[in-house]
Amino acid sequence: MRSIDIHAHTFTPTMLKTMAAGQEWYGMKYTDADQRNIFVREGKIVNVHPKCRFTPEERVADMDQLGTEVQVIAIHTPVFGYHLSPADGLAQAREVNDDIAAFAKEAPTRFAGMATLPMQDVGAAIAELDRAVNTLGLKGAELDTVVNGKTWDEPEFLPFFKAAESMGATLFYHPQPQHNLMLERTAKYGLNNSVGVPVEDTLLVAALIYGGVMENCPDLKVCVAHGGGPACFGMGRMDRGWQVRSEARVNISRPPSYYQSRLYYDIVVMSERSLRFLIDQVGIERVVLGSDYPFVGWDPSPTGWLQSLESITQEEKDMILWKNLEKLLGIETTG
Amino acid sequence: MRSIDIHAHLTPQRFWRATENGGDWHSLRREQDARGRQIAIVGDRRGGLPPKARWTAEERLADMDSLGVDMHVLSPYSGFYNYGLDASVAAATSRDSNDEIAEMANAWPDRFAGLGTLPMQDVNAAIAELERIMTTMGFKGAMIDDKVNGKLLDEPEFLPFWKAAEQMGALILFHQGDGTLVDFRTDKFHLPNSIGNLADRTITFCSLVMGGVMDACPDLKICLSHGGGYTCYNIGRIDRGWQGAPDSPTKPPMPPSEYLRRFHYDCIVYTEESLRFLIDTVGADRVLFGTDWPYDMEFDWPVSWVLSLEKITQEEKDLILWKNLENLLGL
Repeated sequence: MRSIDIHAHTFTPTMLKTMAAGQEWYGMKYTDADQRNIFVREGKIVNVHPKCRFTPEERVADMDQLGTEVQVIAIHTPVFGYHLSPADGLAQAREVNDDIAAFAKEAPTRFAGMATLPMQDVGAAIAELDRAVNTLGLKGAELDTVVNGKTWDEPEFLPFFKAAESMGATLFYHPQPQHNLMLERTAKYGLNNSVGVPVEDTLLVAALIYGGVMENCPDLKVCVAHGGGPACFGMGRMDRGWQVRSEARVNISRPPSYYQSRLYYDIVVMSERSLRFLIDQVGIERVVLGSDYPFVGWDPSPTGWLQSLESITQEEKDMILWKNLEKLLGIETTG
Repeated sequence: MRSIDIHAHLTPQRFWRATENGGDWHSLRREQDARGRQIAIVGDRRGGLPPKARWTAEERLADMDSLGVDMHVLSPYSGFYNYGLDASVAAATSRDSNDEIAEMANAWPDRFAGLGTLPMQDVNAAIAELERIMTTMGFKGAMIDDKVNGKLLDEPEFLPFWKAAEQMGALILFHQGDGTLVDFRTDKFHLPNSIGNLADRTITFCSLVMGGVMDACPDLKICLSHGGGYTCYNIGRIDRGWQGAPDSPTKPPMPPSEYLRRFHYDCIVYTEESLRFLIDTVGADRVLFGTDWPYDMEFDWPVSWVLSLEKITQEEKDLILWKNLENLLGL
């Protein structure tokens, strides 16, 4: 089916090979002989989904099953290296980006790639984004919703946004699925994933809007995972905060809702009613296919679920499935 | 057309009077900043109070008349939960605050009803105060924070409180007090309020459902303020989390979405589209009129706002503005 999926996770061959040999990969290693979990750093262990090990061939076969034509692949966010030294962070990013580009070239009509960047060093991140986009042919970068505790409205990140804007690179934001803000309150019931993730997405939308990034970089291409969380549903309260609190107005001249249609949002909102609401709030041009591959079990598949919805028109479905991302990323689909 | 407001706070006159000349109200103090703003000092925390927080009952009634609000179901100022202070201090401020709400409700029974505040850091004392206000003072319930000194309300130590509230028929209104989840990330742009309140209410819904409180107390009456936060919009993801959660003694037998209608929600969601979404998700009989009087995040002209909405039917407006609360609280 004619479709581009912007939200698809993977691990990379060099990473897997290094750890399979029993060696550390930027401080990370398997915790067990069965290679089911990766120790990332103190306090952070990440489960390995078998499909994140797929070769390009295996992945294409799975995409055929799902009816997905193109996946925009990026390394699974838990192994982002923002916590590393700047030198190690850059080395990890370069290796990962070379691997992602090589992986995508194995099936160039089926894959596009997103880089990872050493955001602990903004200058290095800009240079690596330039290399990833202009030398390796990647479409942009996948980024965490927070950088070592810093939010993206910090002025130090503005040169990065300006650079991404001038390169035409797409920034895809995705929080840590387990090790996020929710752990400050509770580790129970999987709330870090079910509530923490969308709250992180919402905070990211807020940082980019209230921080003036979307005002200062009107052509910046940003897509937020999980439909931007409930940002669109809670936008009225953000507008009210802007009306009544001077600290909410320091960077922006209009209410937050004015800027929400400058971002893109994937469809991982997990209910038809919420997707309809998202479309009505941000505009159909801003909603794109994302599946969270391989972590969400769609019924019957990401594209199949979307096609089954009665409250979304066929023209809207086509825009979500491929038209919007063809334009955003410069990819051609054929079906 | 009647209107009953479930979300209207009271900063007690007892506090204002006791702190008038540099004195303290059970250790709470008050200062004025350089611009003349009143600041409440509670332990090591400082909270600004808006001018309207000082208004007398008569001044409040005049404002309610202007707004077209018939009745305030009074709840305490959330800065005075005092859970982090000595339990005896919280018990004393709770009693004082609740006594004042009772006086107002007695003096103007068709204009005021009461939700109390409770010393939740001492569960037995909280139950005793809830019993005092429910059985001898005609209160409708109490307002509490989403967490008590960092603990969520699904902790086993709170189960006796939930059983008592259920048995007394008390409505428990959830409202943040001591910061929100977002404070752990940033203090910028008013986000601890504009996002944090909504995150905290969502956590409360999840913890009460996933922690088995709603199963243990089938008749419990709960209102989640600020429209229940992100609960209704995010319920699909919350259901997925339930599917994937390991079996446990408290894991509910049904997905969390099946519990949406066990809760009530105030209408403070600010946009017509979000209110429509809330109604469509939880049912119009579960949505209650609320305004957040007298704070800056309150609705401007709340009654006329509800009346003006084109996507809400007149029947739904009647339910929200007064019928649901009449039924729920016996008003």
